[in-house]
Amino acid sequence: MSELSPPPRLLDFVVDRLEVGIFAVDAEMKVVLWNHFMAMHSGHEPGRVIGRNLFECFPELPRVWLEKKIRNVFLLKNYAFTSWEQRPYLFHFQHNRPVTGGVDAIQQSCTFLPVKGAGDSVEHVCVSLYDFTDTAIFHGQLSHAIADLQREKAEQRRLIEKLEEAQNQLLQSEKLASIGQLAAGVAHEINNPVGFVNSNFGALERYVLDLFRVIDALDGPDGLAGAQAIRQQIDYAFLKEDIVALFKESKDGLDRVKRIVQDLRDFSRVDSVQAWQKANLQTCLDTTLNVATNEIKHRADVVKAYGQIPEVDCLPSQLNQVFLNLMVNAAQAMNQRGTLTLATGCEGDGVWVSISDTGSGIAPENLNRIFDPFFTTKPVGKGTGLGLSVSYNIIAKHNGRIEP
Amino acid sequence: MLTDDRKEALQEIANIGMGQAGASIAQVLGEFVQLSIPRILIVPPAEVPTTLARTVEESTVSAVRQAFYSDMRGEALVIFGQHRCNDLADLIGYEADLDHAAEVELLLDLSNILVGACLGGIAEQLNLAIGFSAPSLMADAIPLSRLLQDNPVPWTAALLVEVDFSLEKRSFACNLVILMPEAEIERLMRAVDLFLESL
Repeated sequence: MSELSPPPRLLDFVVDRLEVGIFAVDAEMKVVLWNHFMAMHSGHEPGRVIGRNLFECFPELPRVWLEKKIRNVFLLKNYAFTSWEQRPYLFHFQHNRPVTGGVDAIQQSCTFLPVKGAGDSVEHVCVSLYDFTDTAIFHGQLSHAIADLQREKAEQRRLIEKLEEAQNQLLQSEKLASIGQLAAGVAHEINNPVGFVNSNFGALERYVLDLFRVIDALDGPDGLAGAQAIRQQIDYAFLKEDIVALFKESKDGLDRVKRIVQDLRDFSRVDSVQAWQKANLQTCLDTTLNVATNEIKHRADVVKAYGQIPEVDCLPSQLNQVFLNLMVNAAQAMNQRGTLTLATGCEGDGVWVSISDTGSGIAPENLNRIFDPFFTTKPVGKGTGLGLSVSYNIIAKHNGRIEP
Repeated sequence: MLTDDRKEALQEIANIGMGQAGASIAQVLGEFVQLSIPRILIVPPAEVPTTLARTVEESTVSAVRQAFYSDMRGEALVIFGQHRCNDLADLIGYEADLDHAAEVELLLDLSNILVGACLGGIAEQLNLAIGFSAPSLMADAIPLSRLLQDNPVPWTAALLVEVDFSLEKRSFACNLVILMPEAEIERLMRAVDLFLESL
């Protein structure tokens, strides 16, 4: 024994008294070492165990499996392990937290160590048995907490989905509401040209009948003279002029109807599903302005101050909805005739759109509430209180900002 | 780092080590074990997943990791396919019906045997000391593509030693991969140099 080795009695003491279970068996499974921890927890003093077969002393051990495991350590000359996570215990030891623990035995992780003798052969297998009860209990609590969190997370995900669904419905109903609001104005816009085209047709019908009379008179008893008399009578010069004017006016009227219908279509994009596409925001502004013209023209003159802006990726029908909201709000804010200014421009790598009016403005105390859902200063039945809130979300979806 | 000489020597050492491992495992399992010739390569960690994907045939995998330390330091991965090693249960002393915990324990047990035998064999050839930590479950039936995504390798270079195991009479196969960080690879290479000088 070299002088550097610890005193043998110290070594024995440490092995015996370490707070770790330590035992060893030989190739016949006879116990050759049984420390204090093993004795205390098993209730078997070393004297009753040493020299006897491990499985005879502890018939409750899973013999087939454990014996194979120990034999493999002899054979392979290599470590083996067990973990409390898969096999909570090797020996059923009462654990030290019988009241608060919630587990029925000391949870154990074991290391099987090959102990070589002289030469290369393994003479003993030494098993150290570590108490993992506290870890296991903590692990159990942690697992519960994680399971709870995951349940909560799933619940939150469900709520978020519901919220998104509600939001989409809100978006849809706000859109329908604004289209409904427009319908009356649009009806007027269409009705007007349809009315005068209709009355033009009445006049044209009369003129055509007059012309027929002139042509028919050529075959009559008075011949050319009769026709000339009727031509005189019907004031042909005026009629010729008026027919051209009536056609032109009617054509203009029909064009207006056509344009309004087209704009309405563009505005709501009824013919295409919502898809991100490149669009010019000025075209969106113009389309929306045409659709909303009836809401605006009696209250304001429109001034356009468009800068040069590139096309941007957007959902045009949704941006139209935002522009409509802002324009109608602006028009409604002007009690006396005022000016509605539409401006666009670039800043950095973004584009901006400004819609301003010369109306009463927003009261300072309302400024931080205008984007709240259902907040409105309009009389009951006039506004849903959703316009700006929906606008806010649409702009946010476009990675943009909307500011008063 | 991995010159032809070194690679050849390491290849030879691994061959012998694996041969011994195969013999001991055959003794333990009582069946003939087929081992591939170990493939040895050094790759950047980013390429470890694609390298693994080339050799692991299964798309759903379970994996065990086991750290080794002392003169050789790194981690060994044992990658199993869908059927894991359930077919070997009786060879390691299990009852026929395995619950999930027993399945995992069997996986850990078998991995420990393979890793210990193979790395022990290599270490013995090179006269290096080696110790093993307890194996732990790294992946429980996940897609192969997620294996190293969830468990990234944080080193600048990884030594891959790949061996395929299979048993003749049982439906069982797995891949053993030894991963070592750069500094450890250099240490191993010096040991290989010493081994070459001693010949």
